[in-house]
Amino acid sequence: MTTNLINTFAEFTAYLFPFECMDAMFMQHAMLALLLIAPLTAISGIQVVNARMSFFSDAIGHSAFAGVALGLLGGISLNLSMPLTAVLVGLLIMFLHRSSRLSSDTVIGVIFSAVAAAGLAIISRDRAAAGNIQMFLFGDILTITPEQIGGMGLLLILFLLFQIFAFNKLLLIGVNPMLASVHRVKVRLYQYLFALLLALVVISSVRAAGVILVTALLVVPAAAARNIASTARSQFFLTLGIGFFSCISGLLLSAQEAVNIPAGSAIVLIAVLIFFLSLGFNILLPKRKSDSAL
Amino acid sequence: MSNAVTFENVGVKLGDTLVLKDVNAHIPQGASTAIIGPNGAGKTSLALALLGQEPYTGTISFMAGRSRRSIRFGFVPQKLQFDRDMPMTVLDFLLAGIQKMPVFFGASKKEKSRVMEMLREVECEKLADRSFGALSGGEIQRVLLAAALLQKPEILILDEPTAGVDFKGGQLCCELLHRIREKYHFTQIMISHDLATVAAHASHVICVKGTVIAEGAPKEILTHDVLSKTFGLHLGIPDPQTLAEDVILCDESCPHHAEHTAHGAGCKCHQHHHNGGPHA
Repeated sequence: MTTNLINTFAEFTAYLFPFECMDAMFMQHAMLALLLIAPLTAISGIQVVNARMSFFSDAIGHSAFAGVALGLLGGISLNLSMPLTAVLVGLLIMFLHRSSRLSSDTVIGVIFSAVAAAGLAIISRDRAAAGNIQMFLFGDILTITPEQIGGMGLLLILFLLFQIFAFNKLLLIGVNPMLASVHRVKVRLYQYLFALLLALVVISSVRAAGVILVTALLVVPAAAARNIASTARSQFFLTLGIGFFSCISGLLLSAQEAVNIPAGSAIVLIAVLIFFLSLGFNILLPKRKSDSAL
Repeated sequence: MSNAVTFENVGVKLGDTLVLKDVNAHIPQGASTAIIGPNGAGKTSLALALLGQEPYTGTISFMAGRSRRSIRFGFVPQKLQFDRDMPMTVLDFLLAGIQKMPVFFGASKKEKSRVMEMLREVECEKLADRSFGALSGGEIQRVLLAAALLQKPEILILDEPTAGVDFKGGQLCCELLHRIREKYHFTQIMISHDLATVAAHASHVICVKGTVIAEGAPKEILTHDVLSKTFGLHLGIPDPQTLAEDVILCDESCPHHAEHTAHGAGCKCHQHHHNGGPHA
């Protein structure tokens, strides 16, 4: 029943984007998945950039290896073992960062290496899994299953609900966690909840862009929007717009015969191009001078 | 008058350094208390301990036996460390502190008018649409004061509010605070080393230098003895008799006399380089 619903939505994307390449079912699934991934990554990207957590998201991306390893060892589905490992790693980093005097860079650096090394060590002993490692490194959105898309849909609903309640609080925490805490924001609770959801967002997006590029999906649209936006509202919608545009155009471009590159690279390249355009815009028309509300 | 805050044997350690020990003091409710002391005396640490932002030993108790969590605090830090490139207007920042609806959906009429009213209180309604990161230090302090007031604080703590260059002198800042306190009835705690403003505007003073040197009404506290103990002589209120013995003003025989006197009588170069020493 869920699969039928997802397939119907997927077919609908072919009407939305009437290109020849969209006739194939796997392209429709990929497009639907990206339409879910774009808002997830773009919005969390705003907070990742504000809270300087890009290294955190990189570490979560690399926990994919440990997730695969855990799946192999425990004989459980990767759809379960990967998000589980990502959440554990995310919460562990947050816990160590909050409870020790070590800088977050150091904590993440250690955990990052630990999960990647342990994951790779275990995977390398399993031939079949080792053969699939390329898929995790570079991503493969075209092989996404309706079950995985369903998971992303659920995550998006949960994530949007969280943002409606937490966006303002996260903005204040991004400005200064201590001041936010004095002004009765439950900083610890929001940081843990955000770390948990971010871990799920990153690990779901690994399939689209791969471990290597997944952080770019989060950081680049938000960074590009920062160059032009002067209000929180304009940053939010510009980031969302850039996220959607790069995901959609990236997938369509990657499927053109003349181009024929992985979707993940195409998406990130387009986002990076927009970043440089916005940077040029920022240099030519500095927003600080005009200070106008966009 | 009852006490808003009571410190009992409070100690604060930063790493291995004992910043404060055996702090016993109280802060009267509804009044303006100044915590004074030299740099590194532990004033800010004491405020952060009070706010629960710094671990401490001993006891800090609040009015009517209430817990810290039940009290609404407002805090204006001396220098806010934040990412100045964050796209956010002053209005965004202030709304985020009070509005339930996420600011990307815009401002609710009611909350926006509250924010604008508070900006008028701190005399900077013109800043509403300016980028928060592009403000000057003094402007940021005023916006932070507005943010603190929007919390409807029962206790408002200001860390060196007169240090902001944009406040036209500490006097203006204190008058503004006095007016706002009359209107909103909070307990005010001001960390300061500006003795003149403290003397004029605080009704209770706590002198801190690693511990509490003295506390009480300004008249009792701002004496030469206490200030010498707290700041050392050079920062205390100068005692004319000591000055007469220790300082000889330069005269016309000094080759830099004209330069020195041009600085006015308060200038130290006029006092200390009486033998024609280099002009500082």
